[in-house]
Amino acid sequence: MDETALIRSAQRGNLEAFNRLVLAYQDALFNTALRILGDEDLAADATQEAFLSAFRGLNGYRGGSFRAWLLRTVTNACYDELRRQKRRPTTPLEPLNEDDEEIEAPRWLADPGGSPEMQMDQAELEHAIQHCLEALPADFRAVVVLADIQGLDYAEVAIAIRKPLGTIKSRLARARLRLRECLQGFWELLPAAFRLEEESAA
Amino acid sequence: MTTPTLHDLEKISAYLDGQLSPAERARLDSRLAADPELRAALDDLRQTRTLLRRTPRRRVPRDFTLTPKSVGIRPPVPRLVPALGWASAVALLLFVCTLGTNFVSLGGLGPMAAAPKAVAPAFSRGVGGGPVEAVQATAAPASEVTPTPEVANLLAPQVAATPEATTPADMHALEQAVRPPSPPAEPARPIKLWPFIFLGLAILLGLAAFSVRWSSILAFRRKAGKNVRHDQ
Repeated sequence: MDETALIRSAQRGNLEAFNRLVLAYQDALFNTALRILGDEDLAADATQEAFLSAFRGLNGYRGGSFRAWLLRTVTNACYDELRRQKRRPTTPLEPLNEDDEEIEAPRWLADPGGSPEMQMDQAELEHAIQHCLEALPADFRAVVVLADIQGLDYAEVAIAIRKPLGTIKSRLARARLRLRECLQGFWELLPAAFRLEEESAA
Repeated sequence: MTTPTLHDLEKISAYLDGQLSPAERARLDSRLAADPELRAALDDLRQTRTLLRRTPRRRVPRDFTLTPKSVGIRPPVPRLVPALGWASAVALLLFVCTLGTNFVSLGGLGPMAAAPKAVAPAFSRGVGGGPVEAVQATAAPASEVTPTPEVANLLAPQVAATPEATTPADMHALEQAVRPPSPPAEPARPIKLWPFIFLGLAILLGLAAFSVRWSSILAFRRKAGKNVRHDQ
């Protein structure tokens, strides 16, 4: 059964058909929520909430990119969670220094004495990207996660966050600039092979 | 050469994603050829986008498929005994009829409640005289007893005679004369059974509807459990 048939069947209340769609898209929704919220448990809750909301509101889907429509539900669930966090600020788990700033984990600190040939594994890359993503405002973070991490085009991102195309272009450009500045602190930790690939591609 | 502005950087970002019109793309191409700082900014954005595209994807920690319970799907009523779907409504109707008839029955006892007041035995007063004064002092407001001719005859000779000369027989006769007529005895009312029958029927139908519904819920859950295991 193809996706269109599954969606039509699910719109008639067929839960089995909807669950096949869940299995196809749960990776994308979970990873989107994880990059926006930065926490696995919160991301899982937002993903579950998004699928529940999607099933109940499935008759509101009128065609077009179903992936973008689903990602909209998880983005909304993430925004709800971020608003909840703003109303109830949580105590940081990391220890604070004299200036009341969180002491970063040692692996995030750039080592100027390190060898240029030092390799950064996938886990370090992920931590660096997540750290810089969380420094962005929520609106910018959602746009760059959907466009650059999930690979949606501008029109799909516009559907997902319900903003005009011009707003998407502007927010994406600004988010990339801020991420570039943040990631420059980790630049020397990038694998040398990766840097060589970029030089040859340019 | 000038430092790229925010507007320039937005154009470069869109250029990177192929989101510029052909005319805009041509203009930016000519600027990039002439401006090394603009080219450096384009390279920076390209590297940032490439890094982001390499972000590791995590595996989902659990299955996010939905269950009937989580979406509030109720099991369907079985088709075999659709008549019992009305059983609850019929049971309620019978119950209301039973209550209504009971209230009506209680209201029918109203006339029986207004029994005539008993005549207070005048002999309890017994002050200053014999039965004559006692008869005159008798109060019977409810029945409005009027002295019969026999009573009058009895009264007249007794006035002339010595009050102490009345005999027990005379006393008895006098009592019989002045006693108000006792109401006729009502026939015993038979106990009506049909309200109880209706109540019993209502209870039985309600229990039958509940048991059918519960068995359909159990069957639905067994079937839903089998489907989920099959998909996994």
